[in-house]
Amino acid sequence: MICLSKNEQGAELLANYLAKTLDAPRTAELARHIQECSDCRGLASVWERLDEFAVPEVSPGFDARLYARIAREEARLSLRTTWKSWRRWLWPPVAPLAAAAAVAALVLFLQVPGTPDAAKQANPTQSSKAEIEQVAQAVDDLDLLTPIDK
Amino acid sequence: MEAVVALERDAQLMLRVREGDDTSFALLLERHRGPVVHFLYRMVQNQAVSEELAQEVFLRVYRSRKTYEPTAKFTTWLFRIATHVALNSIRDRKKEKGHESLDEDALDGVERQVADRQPTVEQEMVHEVRLREVRQAIEALPAKQRAAVLMHKYEGLDYTQIAGVLSCSESAIKSLLFRAYESLRDRLSHMA
Repeated sequence: MICLSKNEQGAELLANYLAKTLDAPRTAELARHIQECSDCRGLASVWERLDEFAVPEVSPGFDARLYARIAREEARLSLRTTWKSWRRWLWPPVAPLAAAAAVAALVLFLQVPGTPDAAKQANPTQSSKAEIEQVAQAVDDLDLLTPIDK
Repeated sequence: MEAVVALERDAQLMLRVREGDDTSFALLLERHRGPVVHFLYRMVQNQAVSEELAQEVFLRVYRSRKTYEPTAKFTTWLFRIATHVALNSIRDRKKEKGHESLDEDALDGVERQVADRQPTVEQEMVHEVRLREVRQAIEALPAKQRAAVLMHKYEGLDYTQIAGVLSCSESAIKSLLFRAYESLRDRLSHMA
C-alpha cells in the first residue's frame, strides 16, 4: 500500500480510519499500514493530539441568559409592531389634518383683528389716554424721590 | 441510521417551534447547546466570547423560526449560522487587536480539569505545554480550514455537511481538510 498521507484520497481514507468509520477488514488493513509507515503514523498521532484540546463546561446560567435575551427581543418587536400598526392607521388622516390646521391658524393670525397693531388702530383715543396716565404716574414717582428740603 | 433519525427529529422539533411550541425550542437547545458552544470555543479560544456567540446563534435560530424550511439538515443549518457568527467575530477581533491571542480564562478552565485528576506538577506542566501547542496550531490555521477541522474532528460532521456549512463542493472540502491536517502535522510533528 502506498503512503496514505501523500494525497487527498489517502488522507480521506486515513481520516475515516481515525474517526473509526471504516469496516473491519479496511480498518485492519490500515492499522497494518500505519505500523509500517512513519508519515501516516505522524498524521495519526496528530489526530490523537487534537483529542487533548479539552473544552470547559457550558456555564450554568447559559439558558437563563438566552431566554432573557429572547424575551427582551420579543418585547421590542412587539412594541415596534404595535407602533407600526398605530402609525399605519393614524398617520395618513393626521398628516393632512395637521397641515390644514396650520394653514388655518396662519390665515386667522394675518386677517382677524385682534393683533396689537390692529387693536391700536381700532381705538386710538383709548390708547392715547392710557399713555397719558402712564406719564403722569411716572412724574408722581419722580416727585417721591425728590429730597424734601429742596 | 441513528443519525438520520436524529436529524429528522431536529427538523420536526424546529417545525414545531415554527408553530409556536417553545418546549421544542428548549429540546433543541438541550441537544445542541454543548456542540455549538464547544465548536465556538475551539474557534475563538475564549469561553466568555464563545458563550456570547452561541447565544447569538440560538437567538438567530429563534428569530428564523417563522421562515424555517427543512431544506438542509438541521445541524448543517445550525453550524452554518455558528460558523458565520464565529468568522465575523474572528474578523472583528483581528481588526481590533491586530492579532489573535490566547485567553487566560480559558486556560484556567482547562487547568481545573487537569487538577481534578490530581496529576503531578510535572505532568501538569507537560500537559499544559502540549495543550498550548495544539491550541496554537489550530489557531494558526486560516479561519475556514479551522472551522472545517473542528467540525470534522470534534463535531462529527461528514464531508457533505461541512460542504453545506461552508458553501463549498465536497471535493473542495476534502482538499481543504487535507491541507489543514498537513499543516497541523508540520506544526505538531515534534510532539509525536
